[in-house]
Amino acid sequence: MSNSQAMGVATKRAYVVAIAVILFFWQVAAWFLPDFLMPDVHTAVLRLWEELNSAEFYEGLGNSMTRLGAGYGAALFFGILLGLVGGTINVVRSPLKAAIIILQSIPSIAWVPLFLILMGFGNLPIIVVVAIGAFFPTALSVMNATESVEKVHISAARVMGASKAQMLKRVYFPAVTPELITGAQLAFGNAWRALISAEMIVGFSAGLGKSLAYSGEIADMTGVMTNILVIAILAAVIDQVILERIKHRLLRYQYL
Amino acid sequence: MELTFSEVTKSFGHLNVIDHFNTTIKTGEIVALLGPSGCGKSTLLHMLAGLQTPSTGTLTAGGKRIEKPSPRRTLVFQEHALYPWLTLAGNVALALEFQNTPKQTAFAEAQKWLAKVELSGFEHYYPHQVSGGMRQRCALARAFIARPEVLLLDEPFGALDALTRMTLQSVLKDLIEEERPTVVLVTHDVDEALYLADRVLVFSNRPATVLREIELGHMPKTHDLSAFADIRRDVLNKLGIDTDTTQAHAEDTGEAV
Repeated sequence: MSNSQAMGVATKRAYVVAIAVILFFWQVAAWFLPDFLMPDVHTAVLRLWEELNSAEFYEGLGNSMTRLGAGYGAALFFGILLGLVGGTINVVRSPLKAAIIILQSIPSIAWVPLFLILMGFGNLPIIVVVAIGAFFPTALSVMNATESVEKVHISAARVMGASKAQMLKRVYFPAVTPELITGAQLAFGNAWRALISAEMIVGFSAGLGKSLAYSGEIADMTGVMTNILVIAILAAVIDQVILERIKHRLLRYQYL
Repeated sequence: MELTFSEVTKSFGHLNVIDHFNTTIKTGEIVALLGPSGCGKSTLLHMLAGLQTPSTGTLTAGGKRIEKPSPRRTLVFQEHALYPWLTLAGNVALALEFQNTPKQTAFAEAQKWLAKVELSGFEHYYPHQVSGGMRQRCALARAFIARPEVLLLDEPFGALDALTRMTLQSVLKDLIEEERPTVVLVTHDVDEALYLADRVLVFSNRPATVLREIELGHMPKTHDLSAFADIRRDVLNKLGIDTDTTQAHAEDTGEAV
């Protein structure tokens, strides 16, 4: 326990240092460039504070989070399902893995034109693109983990009379959880990148990506940097705080 | 539950592991399969559990052909068979939960069985937090909680140190005396076989053939194996181990006393 807490402190310190270095380089750039090209850090922070008090900001944030939740959630669900199926059924495994390896090399943003025409201008194409980005790492990690579940754990469940459903729920699922979480964190990175870029391109109703693209179009560099700041902070909070916390809860037994 | 092997053969590719094996294990009998590592005795046990099928021949349990695993014939593995994500109580209760026993009943029962193997107070520990001996105690509790008619043990104490092994053998012996299942024990430990079994089958290397069959049913069960000294020497000789007492191996027969 104290060991993992000590590690937590070290990680936190590393993050503080990293953030300070990044902001320092930004500020140096701002000193050398004129204000209309690169705003000061504090100008962007002030703008961020203003944004936090505007209803518009929350509308965009809400839209983006809804798209992320729907796309990422769907990707986790189908990724886990297909990963378990692929990992347990030998005939399915190799073709499925090959298909994933081929498809995941296509940047998820490349699907935007297709889905935009197929599904029409709206939330759905963005959600699907987010889901595609997050699906592959989830499915791959679950499939690889399922393949390497300890034989003795399966045999033990069989001699205890586990049914197929019990085997899946009580043996395979907890056994793959550590790799699943790693995959889900990777998947979140993909989903986030897909979300912001799809929103920038599609530009349907308010959203973090659209807000960023719009600031660029009107050459409002403070707006651009503020949006980038928001995107970075949100990603860090979701990944390092929320997902890490879920990981510690699900894998509590490993941290004792 | 009576167990029979008739004309059982098992080969993996060209490797003939078991060749026309026949034996009958009576209800309530405790049989040890003793032999060198990799001689095929574990394969015999896994076939009894229904985890492997014979290449030819048949195995029966209670007159019925063994085709798949059944909780009435449970198997205790050497090690690492506990689920690391469950507490000791969770591991033991799982055997009942797989039989659709409600969670609360299963955990109450698990508590009782953990007490029987002297693990009271460790219910909420995870397997990696306790010693190897405690893990195997838990594995025994997990096997006995389902009240199996046949208990199959695959070198259950093989990974433990000698003293822990002897303590656990006593725990196992008490549980067997209380529950009276039919027991098949696979081991490469001569003393373990002599201590626990009513009958010992001594196997050769592949393909597994019975070199000697020893009935011990009438012998008293104690860790003082001096009464078995002659049998022990004979078994060791059959396994190709030198027991010439005039030489340095003298302590070989003496260590059990």
